Amino acid sequence: MSGGVDGTLIWLSARQLLAKRRALLALGLSLVPAVVAVVFRLLVADASGASGDFLIGLARDLVIGALLPLTAVLFGTTAFGGDIEDGTLLYLLLKPVARWRVVVWKYLVAVVCTAAVMLPAIVLPWLVVRGPDLPFQVPLSLLAGLGVGSALYCAGFLALGAWTRRALVVGLLYVVTIEMVLSRSLTGVKAISAREFALAVSQKLLGNSAALVDKPVTTATVWTMGTLMLVVGVGLTIWKVRRYEAAERL
Amino acid sequence: MTSIELRRASRWYGNVVAVNDVSCTLGPGITGLLGPNGAGKTTVLHMMAGLLEPSAGEVLIDGVGAASDPSIYRRLTLVPERESAYGFLTGREFVRMSARLQRLPDGEEAATRAIKLVELEDAQHRKIATYSKGMRQRIKVAAALVHQPDVVLLDEPFNGMDPRQRIHMMSVLREEAARGRVIVISSHILEELNDLADTVLVMVAGRLAASGHYRAIRRLMTDRPHTFMIRSSDDRRLAATLLSDASVIGVELTTNGSGNGIIIRTSERSTLTHHLPRAARDAGIRLLEIRPTDESLESVFSYLVDR
Repeated sequence: MSGGVDGTLIWLSARQLLAKRRALLALGLSLVPAVVAVVFRLLVADASGASGDFLIGLARDLVIGALLPLTAVLFGTTAFGGDIEDGTLLYLLLKPVARWRVVVWKYLVAVVCTAAVMLPAIVLPWLVVRGPDLPFQVPLSLLAGLGVGSALYCAGFLALGAWTRRALVVGLLYVVTIEMVLSRSLTGVKAISAREFALAVSQKLLGNSAALVDKPVTTATVWTMGTLMLVVGVGLTIWKVRRYEAAERL
Repeated sequence: MTSIELRRASRWYGNVVAVNDVSCTLGPGITGLLGPNGAGKTTVLHMMAGLLEPSAGEVLIDGVGAASDPSIYRRLTLVPERESAYGFLTGREFVRMSARLQRLPDGEEAATRAIKLVELEDAQHRKIATYSKGMRQRIKVAAALVHQPDVVLLDEPFNGMDPRQRIHMMSVLREEAARGRVIVISSHILEELNDLADTVLVMVAGRLAASGHYRAIRRLMTDRPHTFMIRSSDDRRLAATLLSDASVIGVELTTNGSGNGIIIRTSERSTLTHHLPRAARDAGIRLLEIRPTDESLESVFSYLVDR
């Protein structure tokens, strides 16, 4: 165990989030793209021309479009939801530690866990299908988008875990309706979609070397709306945890 | 000298009043907080611990509002009633985590001392998920006492402990109290507080119904009027016989689903229980059944409120 208050909060949050079944489920999800890449490699004899499009499509539709939000739901909602549900939050609140500090560390650990678990979902398929059209810049750009997506999704799902007991269900509903369906068709929804922001960041870094999205949201939108989402998500969680009262259920 | 003061403290949730106008001052030593489930004991403890703000009135630790500053937890601790703990941690990791979050200079040594205090050395490296209910209670106490706080609040701490563990925990708490700590223990069983609490506060329906020494509270509870249902071979004659007993306040012949009988009300239970068999024998009446009708915990506590 790391010493100090911050080290202890990080250690505890990581142990909590990476509990056996949850970690295995998340890792299982992150390996799906690698399996798809292996199948692609086996089926397409001459993949040299198509591997770029394949990896970009895989990252856009499967990794950033589906697996990332699902993993973030898993970690984000558990970061506080689990503590509130089973009453263990009291053990943190009954310590001489500011409540905002507990929230911030739990949030950061959830972001790192989400991004780290999703790392193989980009890197492994790239290793499987890499060719001259897939320089190192491609996975790096996709990973940057993955990081942004992790930060934004976790902020929202962290708040959801603190505010509702059905955070997992509400989170999954959000992922399916907003991120998977509406943000792909409605222009207005794109301006509040973490998926679109993640793709826009990746696209920006990729430049003209690959077309991840036709019309990415502007950098200004990513910065303003992304910051807003992050501040609102973490802020709402801090507010909720500061006001948390361990009431008897009457 | 550390003290906890409740000044007309009330707490309500919407229309439900959980704690109603409670005032008291607690000093070093062990105070028992007694009452049936739902009486408001946990709410009072949580207000003392600063986890709940009173809706009205004040709760002060050494004159300072308990809910104002997390630094209060350097001096105050609470052992919650819920048995949940981090099941994925070992007992030692849990206690050490508490020590680290308390910023103790030597967390390892403090954890060793606290675990030894609750006699869990042998199980300290096992996951808490594998602990029995009593062991979980003890590891929670160890984690709470690791920084040697001045104020220790324990919510039903003896739940799930076997008699030996209970006796040991009582001696631990007595030692802590002897060091000048303020210890408050909630319980719904008066006997648990026997020989442990210097003072007992009785809470019923959110109100402070009585307070005083354990023996005074015990006396209040046993010397109240009691009601018994008696069935005998001749109820009518037994009723007439018992009416001459000074300890009997009232007698009523009754018929209910289980047959005829007498409902008898007495102000001195022990006198009646000695006198009744003798009176029945002298009158040649056979007693078939004697059953107290108002021994539920709620009725005992209600008496304290109504008296």
